Amino acid sequence: MKVPWPLYLAWKQLFPSGKKVSFFSLLSIIGVALGVNVMIVVIAFMQGFQQKFRKDIINAQGHARVVPLKPYASWDKIPPRLRKIDNVVGVTPYLQAQLLLQSGNYHAIPFCMGLQPEDGDEVLPVDDFLKGGMLRLQAHDAEDVTPLPTMEMLEDDVVFLSSQTANRLGVRPSAVVQVYEANATLPESTEQSPVRVTRLDSYVESGEWELLFMPSEGSCVVRENVSGDEFVWEYEKGSLDLGFGYPVFEISQGADPFVAGDRFLFQVFKANKIEIFSPSMIDQAKADEMIPPREVRVGGIFEVPWQGFQMEALIGTMRFMADMRDQEGACDGFYLKFSGPVARNEVQLQKKCRELELVLEEDWAVVPWFVENAWFFELLKFEEYLMVLIMIPIGLVAAFAIAIALMTTVLRKIREIGLLIAMGGRRFSVGMVFCLQGFIIGGLGAVLGCGLALLFIRYREVIMTFIVERIAGSDGQAGVAQFYNFHSLEVPFPWESSESLSTFLSFALFAVLVSTVAGLLPALRATRLNPADSLRSE
Amino acid sequence: MEANGLSKSFRLGDGSIRVLADADIRLEEASSLSIQGSSGCGKTTLLNLLARLEKADAGTVSWDGRKMTASSSPSSRESVMRADFLGVVYQAYYLIPELNVLENILMAARLSSSVNRDSEDRARSLLSRMGVGDKAKQIPNKLSGGERQRVAIARALINKPRVLLADEPTGNLDERTGGQVMDLLMTACDEEKTGLILVTHNPIFAESADSRVFLKEGKLITDEEFEEIERKANDEEN
Repeated sequence: MKVPWPLYLAWKQLFPSGKKVSFFSLLSIIGVALGVNVMIVVIAFMQGFQQKFRKDIINAQGHARVVPLKPYASWDKIPPRLRKIDNVVGVTPYLQAQLLLQSGNYHAIPFCMGLQPEDGDEVLPVDDFLKGGMLRLQAHDAEDVTPLPTMEMLEDDVVFLSSQTANRLGVRPSAVVQVYEANATLPESTEQSPVRVTRLDSYVESGEWELLFMPSEGSCVVRENVSGDEFVWEYEKGSLDLGFGYPVFEISQGADPFVAGDRFLFQVFKANKIEIFSPSMIDQAKADEMIPPREVRVGGIFEVPWQGFQMEALIGTMRFMADMRDQEGACDGFYLKFSGPVARNEVQLQKKCRELELVLEEDWAVVPWFVENAWFFELLKFEEYLMVLIMIPIGLVAAFAIAIALMTTVLRKIREIGLLIAMGGRRFSVGMVFCLQGFIIGGLGAVLGCGLALLFIRYREVIMTFIVERIAGSDGQAGVAQFYNFHSLEVPFPWESSESLSTFLSFALFAVLVSTVAGLLPALRATRLNPADSLRSE
Repeated sequence: MEANGLSKSFRLGDGSIRVLADADIRLEEASSLSIQGSSGCGKTTLLNLLARLEKADAGTVSWDGRKMTASSSPSSRESVMRADFLGVVYQAYYLIPELNVLENILMAARLSSSVNRDSEDRARSLLSRMGVGDKAKQIPNKLSGGERQRVAIARALINKPRVLLADEPTGNLDERTGGQVMDLLMTACDEEKTGLILVTHNPIFAESADSRVFLKEGKLITDEEFEEIERKANDEEN
């Protein structure tokens, strides 16, 4: 294929024969590439944060919320109706309240939400939110081996507290530590730590549990040293479950067999209790009626990744919440979870929500997550646009640099321009040589910039660790990670997401356009030159 | 190539300088014509007018029978035609430094849109005839002045033009090299059947052309007329 001569000459002026690349070309291309790289990376990360927030919000409140528009008699027939509808994979009723919590002299008024233990995690992954308590041991002879609580442990007298609320009140759930004293078997004696506490409910009492392996194979003596209770456990038959109020022990098969005299020691700490007052109790107290507060145990500590969820919060059962509100059988609404395209596509979700409103005969409003949190995403979008606005000058600076360099080239090559016209070149084509130089610089810079951005996204963890460590030090890294967790951030490649593809294409096209426009002025200057004057010029 | 009634004047302050006044010129096919004249008399301007690189005040220029008004701007079609009809050689060579010797020659072919598979063979053949066949891949900056001018001549001839305009092609060369270059230019034009209009100060080169004219006070005059004027001037001085 015959290359048009303006393109050929433009390419050759940037990449002359006998040289790999000219200094001007190299600098211009690198300048454009860095600009494109910065713009793509910043916007891709912004979109990554948006994606993360989207995921966190859906985790924290499902895809939609069903809220009543008028007083209702009974709500319990609605979840089964909703579950029968296509794409509905989870319905979780909830009841909210504002309650006063007290532990000793400490008080908190968290946002309180009641869920049903049997379907409370259908929409909200409560188990994923539950974390270890505050019993953080750092000792060479003891280790916190408390199993993480689960939604199953939620009962009418047990609540889960957000870590902020638990910290404010200074409370924690039950805990267990394994003690490595002189006579106890150290974990190094077996390849796997064989004895585990698999459940520690909120009713367990403080005490010291000792497991002593016997000469007879397959059994050990389990003794609680404070009360003196003693049991024989045939561990090969399964875990030791003595019922509520007792820790459940389990033995996982290790590489080394137990021998007579192997001894394991565990210390159990009971869960803290807190007192809870409802607004009606406070009103009654004001009227000098003596109403005792409701006493509940702390069953677990949770952390919801979505910061929009109340920082100070409590999760209890719906029945507990109804008791506290003095409204038996009440329900404030349902969290909904969808599957398939409805879950992925916001337009489809909006349509589905409308469809559900019709199914529920307009008595309930179905609010999708992005409508409820529109303010937040508008803020993020605004931030994204602001970033673009701030970064556009980067592209323009590169364009000015290219324009100046090309203009200098026109002046330097004034006699060559005259010659090209004398040899039969059209003025327009001569101008195109300079415009195409801008286009080539923009195109190559865009390709290089996209490549750099891909590398940055691919190796963001290594790069950010390197940068953050040098700025904030290794201690500060944890703090940075809390707010800007680049490691877990999902920044998709262009072939993985259309949004990412459009970001890459937009900035690449922007670079090409700006660079080409930068070549227009020198091109115009070249076309206006009088060839005879150009040939005479010194 | 033919030009009739060419006039051109340049503005200078409030007044103007008349460079050409009703000049006529005609070049027969495959013949050569030299133009001599003192510095600044308008020889280069005449070549530019013939090449339609500059607008005249009046007159016409004909290329291959196509008559053009010299005072109008050249059309795009004329630009395309110029690439095939004319070859140009200048005193300062004007080779493009980013292209090697071969690419410089082929650039002229690209401009005329006549570039094809045979163009490179022809370019190499021209380079050999010019005695710089081994310099095809060299960068112009590495060549001597004589070599550069040979390359420029090869470039001017690549499209087999009907007329070659040479503006003091030996002006930057020493006498010996200039002589060699001029021999090559004349020989190549003969072989290619290309007409040549040569602007030169060198009377020997000028004489080697089929015909010779002088440019004096804006008029093109013949050899005899010039000698007559010179004689009269000498007599007046004596």
